[in-house]
Amino acid sequence: MAEQLSPEMALPAQVTAADNTEAPLLRATRRGSQPPAPARSTEEGKPPLLPSRRSSILSTLPAPLASRRSSLGAAPGGKRPSIGPWMLHSRVSFSGLPLFQPILRTRLENTYRMGPDEGCKFNAGRVQRVLEGALASALGTTVYSPQGSALLAQSLAELLQNQVKEAVPPRYKLVCHVLLGQQGQQSLLVASRALWDPESDSFASATFSNASLFAVVTVHGVYFE
Amino acid sequence: MDDFQSGDETSFVVDEVSSIIKEAIESAIGGNAYQHSKVNQWTTSVVEQTLSQLTKLGKPFKYIVTCVIMQKNGAGLHTASSCFWDNSSDGTCTVRWENKTMYCIVSAFGLAI
Repeated sequence: MAEQLSPEMALPAQVTAADNTEAPLLRATRRGSQPPAPARSTEEGKPPLLPSRRSSILSTLPAPLASRRSSLGAAPGGKRPSIGPWMLHSRVSFSGLPLFQPILRTRLENTYRMGPDEGCKFNAGRVQRVLEGALASALGTTVYSPQGSALLAQSLAELLQNQVKEAVPPRYKLVCHVLLGQQGQQSLLVASRALWDPESDSFASATFSNASLFAVVTVHGVYFE
Repeated sequence: MDDFQSGDETSFVVDEVSSIIKEAIESAIGGNAYQHSKVNQWTTSVVEQTLSQLTKLGKPFKYIVTCVIMQKNGAGLHTASSCFWDNSSDGTCTVRWENKTMYCIVSAFGLAI
């Protein structure tokens, strides 16, 4: 019995070092079975052999669960890493523990909703007005420069997306595409096509130009069921 | 509807989409010079061909394909895109192509259903 316990004693040795004061029951018995720690001697007063044997062999499953449960109440996070990952690999981790299996996607509850609510669709006209206003205010008198315009395009894309996000109903995924170019004598054509559900999904686009640059913005809104 | 772990069937594979787009561009405007009258037709055919090939992959995705064709005249052009989606399942692929007279930029976005 003692020999069986000693390898396992090595494992939680660091655990005991981490916290001496609060120890969940099963782990305490495992530790307490050999050198009697004074605080845990009361637990050892119960049949010493049975809990210790159980804790040494079977503790692979129950003990970490118990410890996880109790440690959730007791909250010290330092105990978990020493035993958790190997024992819990068959469990879905909700506390960020590493898993050896590929992580299953979290399953959301079924809302039984397959389309947007009545009157809650992507309003293309409203989004277009938002885009035009935002473009005019962001690019009013900006001058095209080769170095700065790359950053400007990126920041513009994010800015417009944030503004459009407030104007669309929930459960919509957005794709915001910004084209920023120097005003020259060239010709340009932007085309887009999408494979989606025409009743719930739509797009809006806006253009802006001044003496030195032009901008074309397209925002597609796709319903996510 | 069971949970399934992400595999080839359910994630956006960038390389595959990129090769589809390149093929579509090559076949639509491969050896042509810029012609204003034909640009409309070219963009349409690039986009349509890309979209139909993407559909043939048979994945549970909604697609958005954008194509920009610009004449080469010394002007600069920047494109940027920002998306509000699920990072683990959705993806995008952008292909830049050029010849002596024009630039062509095609972006494909795939959004999981």
